[in-house]
Amino acid sequence: MPSLPVSERRLVDIDYARQRFRVNRDAFRDPKIFEAEKELIFAKCWLYLGHASEIAQKGDFVSRTVAGRDLIFMHARSGALTALYNSCTHRGARICRDKRGSTKSFSCPYHGWVFNTEGKLLSMNAETGFVKDINADSGLDLKKVPRLEHYRGFHFVNFDANAVSLSDFLAGAKDFIDAMCDQSVSGEIAVLPGEHAYSVSANYKFMCENSYDGYHLLPTHVSYLEALDDKLGADSGQSAVAFIANAYKNQGRARGLGHGHAGLESWVPTGRPVASWIPPWGPELKKEIEATRARLEQRFGKEKSDFISDVQKNLVIFPNLVFNDNAGLTVRTIEPMSVNSMRINAWAFAPVGESAALTTVRLDNFVHFLGPAGFGSGDDVEMLELCQRGLDHTAVEWNEISRGMKQDGDIRTQICGPDEEGQMRAYWAQWDLMMRGQPAFGAG
Amino acid sequence: MITAQTLNRETVEDFLYHEAELLDDWRLPEWAELFTDDAKYDIASLDADDPAHASSDSSLFVLADDRERIAGRAKRLMKKTAHAEYPHSKTRHLTSNVRLGEVRGNERSVKANFVVYRTKGDRTARYMGEARYVLVVDDQGGIRIRSKRCILDLNALYDQGRLTIII
Repeated sequence: MPSLPVSERRLVDIDYARQRFRVNRDAFRDPKIFEAEKELIFAKCWLYLGHASEIAQKGDFVSRTVAGRDLIFMHARSGALTALYNSCTHRGARICRDKRGSTKSFSCPYHGWVFNTEGKLLSMNAETGFVKDINADSGLDLKKVPRLEHYRGFHFVNFDANAVSLSDFLAGAKDFIDAMCDQSVSGEIAVLPGEHAYSVSANYKFMCENSYDGYHLLPTHVSYLEALDDKLGADSGQSAVAFIANAYKNQGRARGLGHGHAGLESWVPTGRPVASWIPPWGPELKKEIEATRARLEQRFGKEKSDFISDVQKNLVIFPNLVFNDNAGLTVRTIEPMSVNSMRINAWAFAPVGESAALTTVRLDNFVHFLGPAGFGSGDDVEMLELCQRGLDHTAVEWNEISRGMKQDGDIRTQICGPDEEGQMRAYWAQWDLMMRGQPAFGAG
Repeated sequence: MITAQTLNRETVEDFLYHEAELLDDWRLPEWAELFTDDAKYDIASLDADDPAHASSDSSLFVLADDRERIAGRAKRLMKKTAHAEYPHSKTRHLTSNVRLGEVRGNERSVKANFVVYRTKGDRTARYMGEARYVLVVDDQGGIRIRSKRCILDLNALYDQGRLTIII
């Protein structure tokens, strides 16, 4: 089997009759598969670059690495947003060495070539020696990423000029993004200062699986939930563990949203600053939260308003982007570095116009659970590293992802229980389609 | 009797070495007791423009604990279910360059440089930076921490992976 080309390997095994869904462990550990993913997935999918609020003014930029490419996310002086490769067209030097800032132009530190904020070559720092029309075809302008599109301020790049539109790509994931943005009166949310930047010694797909895994919540995170109980105090009536276990029986779901995206909708008793108050936040915030709920109900009707207000949401956008719409609003990118390592970057968001006190609550919840020093993420990271270590040396071929497996249907758009595994199957079915160029799902 | 005014460097160093020892010995509940009831222990984002003065109320921090969460962190890390630190990492806190700052009432500002080594499994990571303390000297001459902010000389935790120990 290892001698077969990647495109002919069956790494996702779907058995509708026996309701089994398995992923071959080589998908996590074979460097050849990792190299093929770069070409077949990361060069073709829409990948998150940044949010418009990070570069609000003309001249603002952030430099960022996306799928191994150093890019500049630029608000050009013309007003357009662009994604430029962060590399001089002369000899290739990294041209912008600041992480963020505001500028009128970029000067290459090596030979002094100057480009404007659109990437147009302005000066080659030489009076003589170059023919006059050397840049007539604009080939010496800074290279732009072929596609840059946004949905509600979230900007994505695509390295494939022929890709479907971002809107078509996002498919049902747009409902989750809408539910984040519609928390604000203006429909806008904005990035807050600060970021988390850490790493995990495991294949990046383990983090994707983990990011909307309801099944692991109780065993992995019992120590966080106990800390949450201490914070909520005796007034809450039941422990967080009991609350979640009970909610799993009656509420919530995981659903495939098309194109490999999927979301977990669950009930976890952290409160939600949008419209679900808890006692530790005090009476003042209760008023604001109740007013928000009334506004949302009036605007969207009860069903959509309840979805925005009450449901804790974890969304994974294929192949490597996570939105957590819990007490905090977080965006997390998972940058593959090698077959068994990844870098994580995460940012906090808040609705534009929200009170400072509510934003503080969101941030507090974010750092309590998430990030390199959070009470939750560190334990997740440990689990992923234990998994990678285990499958790097154990002669077991397959990972089992069968919980809640159906007997037929398109695996990418199915619904299952919040502690089942349909959301991961949606991811893997898309992954398999892109790696092999033909579908294996929905064939039962 | 020691006051904030008469506090000397040797006494502060002894206190900081004691704190380091509690951490390295995993006597974390005792460590939490070093803090006042209104204390803060925090680490700003590693990309903050001004990490000494950033606020966790309006920007994302790596860690932002009030006294309740300081105790909660200590309590959690002692559990076997705090998987990130099971088995416990071996840590070594080195504290140096202790500088005494201004006095305000019974408070004394202190800066110290630190390097913390953490070994978990077969990996060793280093965390280095400056710790800024506000120490309080009580009526009996006892010293406690009202605030501790660690400013890491790092741009990211890519090399370290995570920060599940206390630095």
